[in-house]
Amino acid sequence: MNSASRPGALVSIIRATDADERNRSLEHFCRAADLETMLAECSALETFRRSSQNLYERVRALFFLYALHRFHLPQHATLQRRGLIPYEGYVHLLNRRFEEAIESFLAAQAQEGPSEALSSALAAAYHRLGFQTLADQVRRSVRSVRGNQWMFRIGHPADHPLRVRPELCAATSDGLFPLLREVTPVRMDLSHSGWSDIFFLGMDYPEGARVLNVSIDLGVHGRDAGPQPPVEAYFRVIDRPVLRLVSVDLGAVAEITTLREIFDFAKDYLGLLKAAIIAAGLIPPGMEGAEEALEELLARMVGPGRGIEIVSAVNGIPKGSRLAVSTSLLACLIAVCMRATGQTRALTGALEEHERRLVAARAILGEWLAGSGGGWQDSGGVWPGMKLITGELAGPDDPEFGVSRGRLLPGHHVLNLDEVNAATRQRLQESLVLVHGGMAQNVGPILEMVTEKYLLRSEAEWRGRQEAYGIFDQIVALLKAGDIQGIGKATTQNFFGPLCTVIPWSTNFYTERLIEQAQAAFGADFWGFWMLGGMSGGGMGFIFAPERRAEAQTRLYESMLATKHALETALPFAMEPVVYDFAINDRGTFAELWVGDMALMPSGYYALTLPGMLHRDPQTLSPMRRAELDRFGAACRGRPELAGVVQMLFDRLLPHTRQEASEGLPLEAVLDEWGFDRLQHEQVRADLRGGRIGLAQNRLPASTEIRDVAFTDVTDASGGLPEMLRDLGLQALHDGAVAVVTLAAGAGSRWTQGAGVVKALNPFCKLGGRHRSFIEVHLAKSRRVSFEVGVPLPHVITTGYLTHTPIQAYLEVNAGHGYPGPLLLSPGRAVGLRLAPMTRDLRFAWEEMPQQLLDEQAQKMRDSLHAALIAWAQQVGEGSDYTDNLPLQCLHPVGHWYEIPNLFKNGVLARLLAERPQLRVLMLHNIDTVGAEVDPVLLGAHLHSGATMTVEVITRRVEDRGGGLARVDGQLRLIEGLALPREEDEFRLSYYNSNTFWLDIDRLLAVFGLTRDTLQEPERVTAAVRAVAARMPTYITLKDVKKRWGHGQEDIFPVAQFEKLWGDMTALPEMACRYVVVPRLRGQQLKEPAQLDGWLRDGSAAYLETLCAWE
Amino acid sequence: MHITKAVITAAARAQRQLPLQTLIDRDGAEKSVLTILIEEVLSAGITEIAIVVAPGDEVTYAAAAGEHAGCLTFISQVAPLGYGHAVYCARDFVGMAPFLHLVGDHLYVSGGAQGCAQQLVEAARVEACAISAVQATRETLLPYYGAVGGRRVAGRKDLYLIETVLEKPTPTEAELQLLVPGLRAGHYLCFFGMHVLTPAVMEILGALLAQRITGITLSAALAELARREKYLALEENAARYDVGVKYGLFTAQLALALNGRDRELVLSRLVELLATRVVESNL
Repeated sequence: MNSASRPGALVSIIRATDADERNRSLEHFCRAADLETMLAECSALETFRRSSQNLYERVRALFFLYALHRFHLPQHATLQRRGLIPYEGYVHLLNRRFEEAIESFLAAQAQEGPSEALSSALAAAYHRLGFQTLADQVRRSVRSVRGNQWMFRIGHPADHPLRVRPELCAATSDGLFPLLREVTPVRMDLSHSGWSDIFFLGMDYPEGARVLNVSIDLGVHGRDAGPQPPVEAYFRVIDRPVLRLVSVDLGAVAEITTLREIFDFAKDYLGLLKAAIIAAGLIPPGMEGAEEALEELLARMVGPGRGIEIVSAVNGIPKGSRLAVSTSLLACLIAVCMRATGQTRALTGALEEHERRLVAARAILGEWLAGSGGGWQDSGGVWPGMKLITGELAGPDDPEFGVSRGRLLPGHHVLNLDEVNAATRQRLQESLVLVHGGMAQNVGPILEMVTEKYLLRSEAEWRGRQEAYGIFDQIVALLKAGDIQGIGKATTQNFFGPLCTVIPWSTNFYTERLIEQAQAAFGADFWGFWMLGGMSGGGMGFIFAPERRAEAQTRLYESMLATKHALETALPFAMEPVVYDFAINDRGTFAELWVGDMALMPSGYYALTLPGMLHRDPQTLSPMRRAELDRFGAACRGRPELAGVVQMLFDRLLPHTRQEASEGLPLEAVLDEWGFDRLQHEQVRADLRGGRIGLAQNRLPASTEIRDVAFTDVTDASGGLPEMLRDLGLQALHDGAVAVVTLAAGAGSRWTQGAGVVKALNPFCKLGGRHRSFIEVHLAKSRRVSFEVGVPLPHVITTGYLTHTPIQAYLEVNAGHGYPGPLLLSPGRAVGLRLAPMTRDLRFAWEEMPQQLLDEQAQKMRDSLHAALIAWAQQVGEGSDYTDNLPLQCLHPVGHWYEIPNLFKNGVLARLLAERPQLRVLMLHNIDTVGAEVDPVLLGAHLHSGATMTVEVITRRVEDRGGGLARVDGQLRLIEGLALPREEDEFRLSYYNSNTFWLDIDRLLAVFGLTRDTLQEPERVTAAVRAVAARMPTYITLKDVKKRWGHGQEDIFPVAQFEKLWGDMTALPEMACRYVVVPRLRGQQLKEPAQLDGWLRDGSAAYLETLCAWE
Repeated sequence: MHITKAVITAAARAQRQLPLQTLIDRDGAEKSVLTILIEEVLSAGITEIAIVVAPGDEVTYAAAAGEHAGCLTFISQVAPLGYGHAVYCARDFVGMAPFLHLVGDHLYVSGGAQGCAQQLVEAARVEACAISAVQATRETLLPYYGAVGGRRVAGRKDLYLIETVLEKPTPTEAELQLLVPGLRAGHYLCFFGMHVLTPAVMEILGALLAQRITGITLSAALAELARREKYLALEENAARYDVGVKYGLFTAQLALALNGRDRELVLSRLVELLATRVVESNL
């Protein structure tokens, strides 16, 4: 009997004891299943997941349900597209009440019938519930690790059982206490077998969890004298009853006096130190919420009147190195705190195996507390040398037994010199060039994708995973055989094979350019590429013949620098690339006790803390501080490694009077260049401060009636339209009556979280065999249409202050991608200056608007961050100019409404019309609506309707937020999400605005009171635009903007800006608008990189390929 | 195993006055702490008692022992080299015989008719091995005690085979090494301050001291003992009072009184005290 015909077949796959059956993919089943069968399977899976006692069965069922609703059901043409998602269910979803959300959506499905809209909501709920279930299990396991449990039981300082070791409490005669210093290497992985170090994988499939991981010391090539352990932590007793935390690398100091502050992670840059202190049991997690004085607790631990100082230092190793620097630092801090409080046998030296395991377990706990996450191999630097880290089956004595197949913590086998000899280790060091490419990306979404694909046993990915295991064995064998060249070949094969198969986003345009350049420059002496950690672009390895390594270090650096500079407007780089020097570390984490004159903090500590002390009256310094200053002064005179510190101190004490040269033009010049309207800006500021505009004021009055549209209000083109319309459209194309306008003036904030790169140039996906930018995709579609109709299609790209120069340069370098038709840029003539937000608006956005509640700890982090950002807004002055960033990051585009009038103002439309009087129609679309092309049928429909503007809408899915098509007080129009009186109004609207418009040029000009002839008169055009602009609502929005600093660090600030949006033109009575429903493949927009994987998997990318004719 | 000898350590320089303090025993008689301890030991059938003292304390201790002074042997710990060393000072007195060991700054109040020492010696006699009195103790008190890990002896609710001994462990170490099945979460078996030990302990202490390690604890020797021979723990249904801590002597006195002949009298005095305090605070 065909399994596809029997309800419960998918449950059988999940429950199968036979591995082959259990590893069958969902896709395999779905290929043969019709809609009815799939819905029956959904029902069986839903029943099963509610009754199963086995965690992983439940989770797999949840992911099957997610994938059915996200990918497989919508593929069926018979599934109803239009549907309404119950708002109540959506609120449950936001509040992480996933079970209630699912019940609500299923009830709606039972009542209204299945629809794509409801499936999208169900997919989101199942997906989040699946990950929540897994995360909860990891957390339970972390808590139940022996050695960690007690920390959750200790809730009162009077019960605190830890005492600082007596060796650390014995002050010298001058009052200074000894210093305990821990140094820890970082880890690099030769292979992680397809991200098999993700906790969920290791716990479900321990046999497949295999990593080859090496502890290394690092130095920045050309900057540091040589490699050293990159992370350091210091612990000492101090003579004040406070907990003093210092992060030398982040330049942060805090003296903590209450327990509450310790649990406030996002208040400052010391979240990692706080998480370490908690995870080490110094302040156990069970004390969160206790109101007792910290002084009392410190008195118990270290004696009355005394406190503890903990200092962290990362030796200039940038963020995003893919070497697990932050986990290593966390482990280092935890280790030093555990040693200091007697939780390890030895105060100094290396740790014992069971102690390393405990440090690793607590690092996992610390990552959870700080709201971050890593893999189980990330604490690898705690162990020495090279090691095989493998998943382990849970036994009867393990807390995981009966819950998951594998244990939370893997086993570590340190490879000895018999297994990998000294010569091989040396050759590896002589062959590998370790770099940071400069990109600092978030690996989190990648790890989620890996987990999801593993649980679904997606066919290609599952095969890729099996292949990765073969390569892993091969790499281990090659390492044992001492064949470094072979390793280079294998790691390259691993990268371009299984890794890119499982996660296509492992690679990117930048990485592949570097590899090509290395191949071209070194030929056979380039032995291979090695992806470090979760994805490429940041930390990476290139393997060369040893005799050319020195040359390779130099050339690779130059190559990275040049490529980065060529691509930095297209890809989010966080820093300049660096080349590392590295050495294998054979000690693992290691501690020393420094007493007497040796007991000094790293020089960066004094550079950070001394200026403050020197500004104070010496009499107010404690005896210990005075003694320390004396000792430090003497050391500066005598110790060569402190030679530059005095200069550094002077620099800090006497800040430069000369402004450091910043990149590009100063802000004022940029504002002038882009036609900044100061009068308008001051008006916006006054209105904002006066409460006349703001997030709450964006909304229409509560009495506004918002209704969904009727079927008769729209033309449904999703199932096709009459052929005569195609003929009409084709004729217009033949006549040269059409041009395309791609809107590319915006900042694309969501695409890069405000990184300020040009989204239009982002090589976002491999299409037609190579990475393509959004612009290239749009030109490829226009090229295809041009070829098909035999008439070149004019293509206009609108630009703004941020995008104009980079797009212009890009098109020059790429020769316009060989576009056969007229290719024009329409530069913007409007720019705004961002403002510090009003706390009123921040509170409205964070407290009054429905927000996605995060996982417990992440939510605490977010709440803490929000409090800090509100304090920031108050401190810089609400509504003041935002100028504390690069000039271009302080500006903002003023909304896409202006991009069309700009065509009038900058003469581009006039020029086009002069050259092509037959031009009648513009197809206008967003840069991220990649499926939009000049479809003759839709063009014909537009022409046939006689409308001024035809608006393309799509049926709504749960992720489509931001308004839609509605009857607003009876008028059919688009309404922005910002303007909806109530959040729930949006959930009564069936159609979402795709932001693709067909415009009749002459009728549109008439709305502006213009004609083709008057377009030549600038004053008249300006007056006409101003008049219509005055009728358009101005929205205040909050946008994220990144500020980069230090070594790849990034802060994100919410800033206020205003915008006018084109969709509001539909509200003008003189605009004759028509609305056409188009298929989702055409109308969907790519707003965030996290959408890409689903977009690739659901057939959207394949659809796009059919529209494109590549150069 | 026949046990006739006992060793009481009282040589700690900061605590040498503690056994000399006077209390009212459960029988209503006024006695020194030392006398109460000696009577506890004698009740277990012990006939020879050695007291390890700081040099020069012999006379005052003999006076404090009163009528029992005759059965005492005083051993002087010349230099303050730690607890383990103090026990080791009694090696010649012990010879090759098993012995009962108590610390001089604790008092024991048994919950039953049998005294604590009596129960322990009886258990050692039956099991024919070293045995330490223990009590399930909350993890928050771990910084004050030695603690043991092991498993319950089949068929016995109060007897454990000791596998690990740690001196003042952190809860981290305790969770990793001292978990005992059957105990409540966060509770560990901590020493009660009373042991029956075999002569092997002296041999181990000797070896440890020969390594010139300072501050050798008895726990270090007992950890080694557990590796060498059968070593049990008896969970006492009793209470121990450290007279050396703040209010320790006072608490011990209260415990003796509330478990003895004058219980009603002491209770009524306590009530009076409480009532007086209430009146004062209302003024």
